[in-house]
Amino acid sequence: MSDFLVLAKKEIKNLMRDRKLIFGLIIVPLIVYPALGKMMQFGFESATKETHVAIVNFDDGKYGELLIKALNVTPNVTITVISAGSVDDALRKALQENQNVLVVIPHNFSESIESDEAATVQIYGVFKEIGSGMRESVSEGRINAVINVLSEEIAKLKVRELGAKNPDAVLHPIRAESKSYLLGRIVDVPPTVVSQVLASQSYGLPLIVFLMVMITSQMSAGVVASEKENKTLETLLTLPVRRTTIVASKITGTAVMGVIAALAYMIGLRQYMAGFGETGVSLSELGLSITPAGLALFGVVVFLTIAFSLSLAMLLAVFAEDVQSANTVVSSVILPLAFPSFVLMFVDISQLSALWKYLLLASPFTHPVVDYRYLIAKDYTALGASIAYLAIVAGATLYVTARVFASEKILTARLGWGRQKGRE
Amino acid sequence: MLVEVENLEKDYGKVKALKGISFSIREGEIFGLIGPNGAGKSTTLKILATLLKPTGGTVRIGGYDVVKEADRVRTLISYLPEEAGAYKNLTGREYLEFMARLYAKDERKAREMLQLGVELSGLGERLDDKVSTYSKGMTRKLLIARALMVRPKLAILDEPASGLDIVNAYEIRKTIRRFARSEGTTFLISSHNMLEVEFLCDRVAMIADGRIVETGTPEELKTKYGAENLEEVFMRSIGVSIPEPVGGEGS
Repeated sequence: MSDFLVLAKKEIKNLMRDRKLIFGLIIVPLIVYPALGKMMQFGFESATKETHVAIVNFDDGKYGELLIKALNVTPNVTITVISAGSVDDALRKALQENQNVLVVIPHNFSESIESDEAATVQIYGVFKEIGSGMRESVSEGRINAVINVLSEEIAKLKVRELGAKNPDAVLHPIRAESKSYLLGRIVDVPPTVVSQVLASQSYGLPLIVFLMVMITSQMSAGVVASEKENKTLETLLTLPVRRTTIVASKITGTAVMGVIAALAYMIGLRQYMAGFGETGVSLSELGLSITPAGLALFGVVVFLTIAFSLSLAMLLAVFAEDVQSANTVVSSVILPLAFPSFVLMFVDISQLSALWKYLLLASPFTHPVVDYRYLIAKDYTALGASIAYLAIVAGATLYVTARVFASEKILTARLGWGRQKGRE
Repeated sequence: MLVEVENLEKDYGKVKALKGISFSIREGEIFGLIGPNGAGKSTTLKILATLLKPTGGTVRIGGYDVVKEADRVRTLISYLPEEAGAYKNLTGREYLEFMARLYAKDERKAREMLQLGVELSGLGERLDDKVSTYSKGMTRKLLIARALMVRPKLAILDEPASGLDIVNAYEIRKTIRRFARSEGTTFLISSHNMLEVEFLCDRVAMIADGRIVETGTPEELKTKYGAENLEEVFMRSIGVSIPEPVGGEGS
């Protein structure tokens, strides 16, 4: 087995046996996120399960009764007609009977409709205690939907009575047909849905990139700092192994763990997001499919970004004396560098001035986000330029890290400039 | 000569840790570098172990320059720092196996090294426990075994029994002496424990304030200064008069 494999295997074994690390990076996302998603789903389902609606009818006409009948046949709605002398009285009874909503039909309801005036129905959400309010909100939504349908049907009847042949066209004389024009193609999908699909891509990817960068950089800094903290570094550096092999094995070991952790986060997040439903439109339906070659190129982008963050973190960890201070140093440098990738969640880089565009692109962490957009737009020239930039930055950082590892700086460098290690 | 040190200097900024020291070590010799804390012992050992670069002077091990041919030097040496640890999440056996695989170029040699390491450590079944469960003495035995099992041309041991209780320190010294006799390995040992040095070393160099003040066998030095032990030799060599034997580690 080569020296590189022996060292990389040791790194992975050492990290895999770190219970705190495994718990924080793999167990937590795999258990906590899905559990959180399930809880949200359970809360939503129990809120939408059955709506208890109390109705007090002060109207003598036919339209009050019609509304009650319409609500009665609405799915997931249980109607209780209560008799009360006033609205206050009705609210007290609704509260006692654990109703979520009270619908008040006023005495002039039918009269108003019949005399071609707008009739009003009052809807009260009945809050028994300060809870999530989800149940009351869902109930109100359902009643509004019923009232809208009823209102529409009554309007159609009235328009027909006035002699119109097509009441629907009279009520809605203009109808909008939404389509989208995307990358030179017309797609039969409304812009709001396209926007939702694109937004889900631009929110999800920066988050995953950010997680991977933070996890792997903290881990690689920890790997170097723990060598110092556990007093194993000096021995390691006197072994008959090239320093570049030591650096490469540490990067590989932490990258493997980082990918496992990122996968755990992605699986956990997917489970969590599953509780909230999807748009039902995929990228390929919008004509934005990703080819296998494009995916491979994107793999190179992610690999180079991770290689940059790992070697930068290792370089920074050289200046720390223990794992805790290494984490602090790495966070304070990597976080500001990764921040621009979050800006790209809200900003379209093509709309920015050249100065801002190149300032944002100077951070290697923005490239996976931007490159993903190039990828779905099949702009391989821009993707190639980005890969070249990342290769130069990652290569240079790796070179500097290997040089520092080959020098005595790794033993003597400290954050307090000018302060030297105590000598024997 | 296996080791040749000439006019070695090392500066840490404005602080001069070594002010031009010279000594040489013959093959198969156990050479002791003795002196108080801050004298420059560890700095010298770290330069020989290729960890630090000298400000001036030269060091050759087996004919190779420790700066220009550091990679070649590392194949000849095995270094044990004063404050050393092992990977806590590995078992003792896994740690020895990991090190053996980096030194041995084939599977058979790696197995032989591991076997020797297991014997030298004397940890028995505890080798299958994680290093994090080891006491300080057990960890040090594991590290000594690691340093010796690779049968280096030169073993550089910085304070090999430092901070250990009397039993563990005794066992470690015995292991080193037995190994030196059976394998003929050359040792460079630093210590401020004069008893340890007298017990182990064929020849010693006394270092104070970055300079070597005396070199010779323990017997030669004691005779030269009319001293009962190396502690008295050291004090007299640096010009401190001793009215009566003093206590402490080396007395």
